[in-house]
Amino acid sequence: MNTTSLSAFEIARRVRAGELSPMQVLEEHLAQIAAVDGIPGQLDPPAMDAREEQKVHAFIQVTADLARKQAEQIQAKLARGEDPGPLAGVPVSIKDIFCVQCTTTTAGSRILYNFRLPYTATTVARLEQAGALILGKTNLDEFTYGSSSESSAFQPHPNNPWNTQHVTGGSSGGSAAAVAAHETPLSLGTDTGGSIRQPAAFCGVVGLKPTYGRTSRYGLIAFGSSLDCPGPMARNVSDAALMLQVLAGADPKDSTSSIQPVPDYLAALAEGVRGLRIGISPDYDHIAYPDTETGEMGIQAIQPEMNQAVREVAQVLASLGAEIVENVPMPNARHGIPTYFVISRVEAASNLHRFDGVKYGYRTQKPVQDLSELYRVTRAEGFGLQPKLRILMGMYVSAAAHSAHYYQKALRVRSLIRADFERAFDPTGPYRLDALLTPTTPTTAFRRKEVLRDTVLMQYSDQMTVGANHAGIPAISIPAGLDPQGLPIGVQFFGNDFREDLILQVAYAYEQATQQAPWRQEVPQALRATEVK
Amino acid sequence: MMTQYEIVVGLETHIQLNTETKIFCSCKADSWGAEPNTNICPVCSGLPGVLPVLNAEAVQKAALLAAAMHAEINPVSYFDRKNYFYPDLPKGYQITQFDEPIGKGGYLDVHMPDGSTRRVHIHKLHLEEDAGKTKIEAGRRLVDFNRCGVPLVEMVTEPELHSGEEAAQYLTELRQLLRWIGVSEADMERGHLRCDANVSIREAGSTVLNTKTEIKNMNSIESIRQAITLEAQRQIAAVEAGERVESYTLDWDADTGTLRKMRSKETEADYRYFREPDLLPVKLSEEEIARIESSLPELPYARKMRFIAEYQLSAYDADILTSERSLADYFEETVRLSSAAPKTVSNWMMNDLLRLMNDLGKSASELRLRPAELAEIIDLVESGKISPATGKALLRKVEESGRKPSEIVTAEGLGLIGDEDALRSQIAAVLSESPSEVANFKAGKESLLGWFVGQVMRRTGGKADPKRTRELLLEILRK
Repeated sequence: MNTTSLSAFEIARRVRAGELSPMQVLEEHLAQIAAVDGIPGQLDPPAMDAREEQKVHAFIQVTADLARKQAEQIQAKLARGEDPGPLAGVPVSIKDIFCVQCTTTTAGSRILYNFRLPYTATTVARLEQAGALILGKTNLDEFTYGSSSESSAFQPHPNNPWNTQHVTGGSSGGSAAAVAAHETPLSLGTDTGGSIRQPAAFCGVVGLKPTYGRTSRYGLIAFGSSLDCPGPMARNVSDAALMLQVLAGADPKDSTSSIQPVPDYLAALAEGVRGLRIGISPDYDHIAYPDTETGEMGIQAIQPEMNQAVREVAQVLASLGAEIVENVPMPNARHGIPTYFVISRVEAASNLHRFDGVKYGYRTQKPVQDLSELYRVTRAEGFGLQPKLRILMGMYVSAAAHSAHYYQKALRVRSLIRADFERAFDPTGPYRLDALLTPTTPTTAFRRKEVLRDTVLMQYSDQMTVGANHAGIPAISIPAGLDPQGLPIGVQFFGNDFREDLILQVAYAYEQATQQAPWRQEVPQALRATEVK
Repeated sequence: MMTQYEIVVGLETHIQLNTETKIFCSCKADSWGAEPNTNICPVCSGLPGVLPVLNAEAVQKAALLAAAMHAEINPVSYFDRKNYFYPDLPKGYQITQFDEPIGKGGYLDVHMPDGSTRRVHIHKLHLEEDAGKTKIEAGRRLVDFNRCGVPLVEMVTEPELHSGEEAAQYLTELRQLLRWIGVSEADMERGHLRCDANVSIREAGSTVLNTKTEIKNMNSIESIRQAITLEAQRQIAAVEAGERVESYTLDWDADTGTLRKMRSKETEADYRYFREPDLLPVKLSEEEIARIESSLPELPYARKMRFIAEYQLSAYDADILTSERSLADYFEETVRLSSAAPKTVSNWMMNDLLRLMNDLGKSASELRLRPAELAEIIDLVESGKISPATGKALLRKVEESGRKPSEIVTAEGLGLIGDEDALRSQIAAVLSESPSEVANFKAGKESLLGWFVGQVMRRTGGKADPKRTRELLLEILRK
């Protein structure tokens, strides 16, 4: 057992106490990456052998030199008697959608294959200032557009450490996989419709999407600017709280970041759930799904273990003194994905305009006649399928002739979705919830390639999560068991605006109460492989 | 009977605000004379991941302009994205205001030389960021991002102007107003004030709006007058010849004084406007709006009318003295400090101070000669302590030396000789040298009096008090 099994909290404690060298922590994590990760994601990957098929492939780029420099700085600070920060010596991987100076920032796209930026995202800068070691950039769906991480232009895509024939989820799939495979205790992800929580659920880790504006978007290559939230991914709730503490807070470079004071998330953890009101909604035990022929929305059952997990979690919380509030209506949850299809695509299409081959990134090598052909050919070659689909749809639904029917309507539905949550959390309302408990996903991790070509089905794997993005509220996904295939099941707690402290507290109570559960003793396939070796 | 035509003109102006920094980043707003792409940062050059942060000064200046245009200042306005591809638009969208701009409504009263007034309503007044510049050089397209993110107010008039002259007058008064309230340098040659014109014609008395053409690239008021006049003539000739006016864009060539057809206007572009999610709504509280509105100075035309009424100035003088706010302030301050009549102060400024300013290339606010010094000089002349010629010379001496007028008068002995004994001895000397003129005067040729005054002035180097000299001469010669 080495430091790769330790929590971030424990690594930082020992490093600050002088009991553990940050360089040792780093080298052990780099060794773990070497053991489990296999070849990094790349534009022109070699043929995969059976051995590589078993690897995690979480990273596009490992920044060992950068991390070693940071480890040296931590050591120097310790030697001078300075406080190296709350994440001293803790390795962190960064989803490759954040700009980090001294790294390439690809967004998983050919169009940015060679792109180095002269600045670092605020969230990453805060991690560095807190003493974290930046291990590298993790793979993702191209521009975060997906829920399996398979759509990256950089292949091989990440595999689920619990079963490498299954996907990690996405778009923060590389981040979730790296955490699950003990390549890093922490990873920075982003969540636009569920991109932190869904892969966290699939990979059996903790993922928290903060309140919109709680964490700065500066330096994050935008997908849906009104939905995007950077947030922590970790192996346990207290590590997620520790990381959020570092990430959260106002940023003068992001006008939409909140000036609301940041509470002490760690201090709140142990307060328990006695007297807290935890809701369960019948609108979250199934999904609404369009008929492929008619487009009519029908009801589709979700994997039964998901609802079972929610019941079990509720029982545990009830046994700890929480009040379970049944039958909380969330009537607009069913509109979450159609609404998201419109709003996120409009913003995405606009955000992708700047990638035109004129200033930076990929430019076609083919001879072109004029400027518009340069744009067309560059974008045709540089973007993968998902950006193209999103550009087409985004441009269609925001066109002057269609905007009223789609985009403006979607904005109105979005406020209805928000109103559902407001009613549920209203302290003077009928439900007065502290948290709403739901499955994180309709299913556990699906098999690779199973959903990739079905963009609509892929998108619906975010139906349980997307409400938090529309409403701007925080939500956390935590592991709550394994399905019969041995794949992780996640449950989710939604919280009211800026009540990350409360949902962390509830999640922590459940986690502590189930430490001895048999499923928690299971180890991902990728880790078993290293142990055998 | 020949058809009478009415010319219909609407102007689209872009006003560069004179803020310290750009609208969404901390680059300097003014890049005049800078090498291409030297005044840029990740935000204004549209790198991925960065976010705009709104410059509060730009909002204040846009709101002040809205107030000056009699527009309603919107308590909540929004920024929107206008999406299109162009190499000098690094984000691929322009951040602008679409349906909820900072100003609503408003008008500018344009005062024509014939005394008539034309009220021109404002169709739209909003804040936005400027794009960069593109040029083709030796077959290569070059892009300069320095201008990206410079704060602009776009102001579009209703089609309520009816000649090149009116359009030129609108811009003249707009330019004066922009400088007057201090929101823009409004220098057309430097692009601080840009103007495109939409021109159409119709039968006099009709209210329909016919197909219009758009004229671009006019960078002086004279160009605007000429280009609109020329284009209206062309349209009239075309219609008279049975042709139709087609919708296209024309480029003004100032060197040849001609219009060049640029392109047919294609179908209206779809910019897919939507709210800019990276910026919060722009909120101005009632108190802030009240403060902005009350900080608005008296506007040029009102001030001109007041100068005429309050100081009995001619319309011509009042017009010139209110051409710039610093000049009008200078005038009123001098009037306040001087015991001379306002008309006298006006004469001094119109005749002498403006010449001095012109010679030195300085504005009123840049002069070392402050209103206090001008008032002192005028009062010295009015009280007979110095001659008008000395007073005029003093203007330049004070400006050059920065010393007080009275100090210079004493130091250089420029004061008039008003002392009776001194004057009598000078007069006696003149009379004794000119016996024949004295005899002629006494014989009745009293017109020689002026000649005697002149002789005394010559002996005293111009310092003799002319009024007192005349009185004494008469007294002595008539004895």
